[in-house]
Order: sequence, then structure tokens, then C-alpha cells
Amino acid sequence: MAGSTPDEAAVARRLLQTGPNDYAPWFDRNACTAVIADQGLPAIRSEAWKYTNVGRWYETVLEATRPVHRETVVESPEEVDVRDFSDTRAADLFGPQATFDLTRYPLAAVNGLLLGAGLAIRVPAGCQASQTVRISHLPSAYQHCLVSVEAGAAVELVEEPSPYTHRIVEAVVHEGAVLRHRRRQAGASTRECSLVAVNVATGGRYELSQLSLGADLRRNDILVTLAGDGAETALQSAWRVDGRAHLDNQVAVEHTLPGGTSRQTYRGVAAGRARAVLNGRIHIAPGAQHSDATLSTKNLLADATAEVYAKPELTIFANDVKCSHGATVGAMDEDAVHYFRSRGIDEDRARGLFVRGFLREAIDDLAVAETLGVVV
Amino acid sequence: MSLLRVDELRVDVDDKTILNGLSLAVDAGEVHAVMGPNGSGKSTFANVLAGRPGYDVTGGTIAMDGADITELAPEERSHRGLFLAFQYPVEIPGVSNMEFLKAAVDAQARIRGEDEPSAPEFIGRARDAASRLDLDVDFLKRGVNDGFSGGEKKRNEILQMLLLEPRLAVLDETDSGLDIDALQVVAAGINAFRDEGNAVVLVTHYQRLLNYVVPDRVHVLTGGRIVRSGDRSLALELEEKGYGWLDA
Repeated sequence: MAGSTPDEAAVARRLLQTGPNDYAPWFDRNACTAVIADQGLPAIRSEAWKYTNVGRWYETVLEATRPVHRETVVESPEEVDVRDFSDTRAADLFGPQATFDLTRYPLAAVNGLLLGAGLAIRVPAGCQASQTVRISHLPSAYQHCLVSVEAGAAVELVEEPSPYTHRIVEAVVHEGAVLRHRRRQAGASTRECSLVAVNVATGGRYELSQLSLGADLRRNDILVTLAGDGAETALQSAWRVDGRAHLDNQVAVEHTLPGGTSRQTYRGVAAGRARAVLNGRIHIAPGAQHSDATLSTKNLLADATAEVYAKPELTIFANDVKCSHGATVGAMDEDAVHYFRSRGIDEDRARGLFVRGFLREAIDDLAVAETLGVVV
Repeated sequence: MSLLRVDELRVDVDDKTILNGLSLAVDAGEVHAVMGPNGSGKSTFANVLAGRPGYDVTGGTIAMDGADITELAPEERSHRGLFLAFQYPVEIPGVSNMEFLKAAVDAQARIRGEDEPSAPEFIGRARDAASRLDLDVDFLKRGVNDGFSGGEKKRNEILQMLLLEPRLAVLDETDSGLDIDALQVVAAGINAFRDEGNAVVLVTHYQRLLNYVVPDRVHVLTGGRIVRSGDRSLALELEEKGYGWLDA
């Protein structure tokens, strides 16, 4: 375990000593053990954890008690088959998903060994986009949701704010299917990491609308693989962090086959001493011709003490593609604030309106935004 | 008592004196034009009236209805009935014009202790004002000034004035950038707004707007102070002779 620090080594040792728990034995944890044994866990200040002190998350992993909801609270339409992992038939709903590579996301291996709540969600053909599966709470700090949207089906998946230490949402969007994924992350004093990994097949579409407030530590890894001709994805994410909150978004969109379209739009506001990170990667594999990819990230620094890291990353191995990106970081437009005030709108409300307008470029779900307190 | 009374106003911007003892009194029911060459301090005067940050008032006072407003925040001035039509209205994508206008009207209503207008009532008023200014209804749904043409921005300022019903409207170069048709529409809006209870200060470089909005008084601002005042004929004289004539 080259480059180990006591923190990561301690966590790895503990996990390997204890081994997997007895929840959902059908769920294969051998790969998790192998990854931790072979490559260890990410070191503090490793490249993938440049902006987030993963050691602070390890502390949480080693804690005996964590804030956890006691029961499963999930709503779903009748047609959708939702099973807890403790139901052995959950295994029947899914073949191997392989939406991500554990060696690339080793924290998912930690999740695997400590897993205490899993849901298998199968959305059959005939399900409509107007139908919603809503995940409010799951009764463990380590959670895993497997979603399969079958060919031609459509559904909305909503993740309500809820504390966890690590959550994985894996989804396969089959041919011509549509998954609209809404994630809501409230402000919290917790340290939370999550992984969203989605495969989109031919003619399928995955939409993410994510609204985040900061947590003591919050890391969102998102991986979307456009694994079919003409697969599409639109990732829209807005955040507002203040105080000493920390939010690290690591997003990768991989175009593996021709004709895929991806749109990434990020708008963030950082205030106080908060830190917000957006690392947005577009990877276009050899042969993924006619891919069309865009990424736009705009950030507002509400205070000089806040920190923003906005980094688009393009790796392109095909020669007939459209690919563009833009990143900006700026202060609040004081002329706009004055303009509002000159019409009788007080300063706080003026700043709130401005921030809301700014975030709305990425996410137009203001009722939820207000509930979460994003709007002043 | 004058609706607006400015006494010996001195203003610095970046340690440079721009207004140097400007005095002006405007009564209710009057329209005053403040004219002057480029760099004379016209826009500074308009912005200082509205309380824009970045202007350092080093002397003198601004009063409305006898109450000193020199140190008030921009929104407090607005609550007292002061309105500035901006020379360069700000573009604010993401906030719809309607949302912005409603927030402004609601804020004014709260200050006056009145009920906020209901959404349908407000939409009706906004549509009515928009049609008076020859603006399409879709205009209200677009982001504030976002992608508006120069003329649309100026008309949007007048639209706000009509909805907010201020007691004192200061129009900063509202005529600049308007073609002749738009100028007439804007002028009609201003004339419709005028009544015995309010007053208008037109800050302008050219007298052409004054062909449509006839002022009661015309003032010439040069070197940061009013150097001459007169009736409408002063504007015509300026048009004919230019501002250089005043230095002679």
C-alpha cells in the first residue's frame, strides 16, 4: 500500500479484519475486499482527493455511531418493482451491472463491506416519465440503490435529503428509456460521499438535476457512460455553500460509442469560508465519432474568503466530434444588486433574487430550492 | 415645500470632484430638464439622487418633501417615491422581468402598509403597461433586460416607472439610443405618467425628447453645477448654439 497514511491504512486494516457484514449475502463483496487489499484506499492529498481531505471522511467511517435514519421510506408507483437487498429475490432483478470500475472508485468498496441498506428498483416498460420513485430515507449509513429502467420505460427518481456516510446509486438506462434523476442535498453537519454511476444504452437518456447545499464534507462522484449509439445525458447541478461547508463534485461523462450527446451545466455560489469544487471531465473514446459534448460551469464568490475550484477536463480520442467547455468565477454583480435596490427591494432580498436567478440557469426547481433554503 | 430640493451638492468620484455645488428645486407637478455637455456631471447627479454606491458626497444635501435623504439607502429612497430610469439598465439573466417587477411592487406595497397585489391583478397591470409601451407580453417573461435591444431596455425602465408610480422620476438619458418611433412611445409613457402630484427630472444631452415631453424648466449643468436656468426656449437655444456658447 504505497503512499499509505495512518488514516487510510487504519480504515483498510479495520475493514479487512472485520470483513463484510451479513446483510444481503447474495451481494458480491469479494471484489470490494480485493480492491482494498490490493490497492488500498485513497491517500490524503492523492490527485483524486486534491480538494477534499478524505481523512476526515475516514474518521467518520471509523466512528461507531453515525446519524442514520431508522427505517426505509420510499414511495414508488405500483408498476415499479422495489425490493430490499435483504430479499434474496432482489438478486434476480439484476444481472451484473458493471456501471463503474471499483478500482477507480475505491470508496465504493468501503460501502460494499459496510453495506446495511440496499434497494433494487426495476422500472418495467410502460412506466411513464410522470411517475416517481422517491427515496426519502434508508436505514444504514452505507447505502446502495440499483436502478434498471427497462427498454422504452421512463421514470423520475428523486433522492430527498437524508444523512448517510456513503451512498451509491447505480442505474442502467436501457434502449430508448429515460431516467430523470433529481437529487436534493440539504445543508448538513455530516461527512457524506456518494457515487452515481449510470450506463445509458442506445437511444436512452439520463437527466440529472442536482441541488446541493454544503455539508461538513460532501463529495459527489458522478459517472455517466454513454454506452450506445445516440445515447444522451443532461447533467444540471446547482449549489450554494456557506459557513465552512465543503462540497466536491467530481463528474465524468464518457462517450464510448458514436453519436452520443452530453450537456453539463453547473452553477455554484460560495460564501463565507466555504469551498466548492467542480471537476468536470468529458472523455471521448476512440471511435466515438459524432459525439457532441458541452460543459459550462459558472461560479459566484459571494465573499472573498470563499474558495471555488472549477476545472473542466477534456480527453478526446476521436477526430470528428463537437466538444466545448466554459468556466467562469466571479463576484456578485453589484450593479444588479443596486438595480434591484433602486426599485425598493431591500439588499438581502436583492442578493437572494440575484443568486436565485444565477442558479436557475442550471436548475429551475424553485419550490424545492426554497424548501432547502437555497434562496435567501 | 419642494418635492425635490438639492442644495450645494458636492460629490467626488475616485477623489475627483464631479459635482461642485449643484442646487436645484423641483415642485410637484413640474417637469425639469437638466442638460449639459458630455462629462458635465449629469449622470453622476442622477446616480447620486438614487444613492448608487461609489459616489462620495462631500457636501450639501438632497431633500424630498423637506426630509434629508442624502444618506439613505437606495431602497429607502425608492420607498419615499424616488425612481431612477437608468441610462444603462442592468441585464440579469435568470430573474424574469415579471418576477422582478412583482418583487418591486410588493416591496413598495409593504412599505406603504398596503396589501401586495394578487398575481392576476398584478399581471393585468403589467400587461396593460406593456401594451401602452408597445411591448409584447412575452417581454414580461424574459430575463430582466436579458438580450433586450437598447430601445427595449429604455422602454422597460418606463414600464417600471408606470408600475411603481413614483413621486419623483429621474430619467437618465432615457432618450439615447431610441429611434424616432420608440422616442415617441417613451415620451407618451412619460406624459401619461405626469400629474399634479409627481415630478419628472429629465437628464439629457439633446433637446429632441423635449419636443415631446415639454419641460417647465430647463437647467444647464456644466462643471458640476447649474450655470443657467430658464424655460423651454433655453433648450432650443442650446440646440442652436451648442454648449460652448455658455462659456462665452
